[in-house]
Amino acid sequence: MTLAAQSESECADVIETTHLGKVTWDSGSELYLPSGLPGFEEERRMIPVEVPVHRPLVFLQSVRHSEVCFVSLPVLIVCPDFDLRLTEDDCAALMLDEKETPRIGSDVLCLALLRRSGGTVETNLDAPIIINLHNSRCVQSLSPDAARGYYRLNDEGVWERIC
Amino acid sequence: MLIVRRRAGEAIVVAGDVEIEVIEITRTRVKLGVRAPREVSVTRREAQTVASENRNAAGLLAACAVDADILGFFGKISGKGAKTAEGTADM
Repeated sequence: MTLAAQSESECADVIETTHLGKVTWDSGSELYLPSGLPGFEEERRMIPVEVPVHRPLVFLQSVRHSEVCFVSLPVLIVCPDFDLRLTEDDCAALMLDEKETPRIGSDVLCLALLRRSGGTVETNLDAPIIINLHNSRCVQSLSPDAARGYYRLNDEGVWERIC
Repeated sequence: MLIVRRRAGEAIVVAGDVEIEVIEITRTRVKLGVRAPREVSVTRREAQTVASENRNAAGLLAACAVDADILGFFGKISGKGAKTAEGTADM
């Protein structure tokens, strides 16, 4: 999978976004979300955008709404011991074989959505974004029994579990 | 709370036009099918909390534009100063 870019190139789609400026992408880098995201059920097409100066952040930009853009991080940066558990519904949506355990990085990309919490950011690792790198299908996995918890970025730039 | 015993293939109806059918029962899970008008929102309970969190998450970049503390988190994560830049990358 190729991450989209902020610069222009030929034979690519273009969107003028609210937060990232002009973003271009080709069909190979577009994500398909069969059910959207909770709270954003109509957002079925997203573009993962990486900005070099902000690595390892990955921005998930909506194709449909220029103002909708999420900020995310690979889950292993937040929690190196992240335990990937997918439900049957997740596997079906991602078109993954339930019997096989997908490998993070080679089969799937797992992202933690960041949100504001006071003067810093936090994330819920019980609701990671899972992208099948083989077909670009994407879901937000909600596994009730995962119990990975919430993490917050502290003043030292370290992720700490808060509950 | 109303408690109703149902078998696979049986259903209940809520408010006249929302039908919830038991599709399959396994040792640890029940598969439900829901037929409802398009305007009726049907979500898993855990998705309601996440929906609220996602709406907050979608506002993070807007918050960065008006709150220097939030903007600073970019620098903490990347180890560089928070600023706007352009570029591309493969993965």
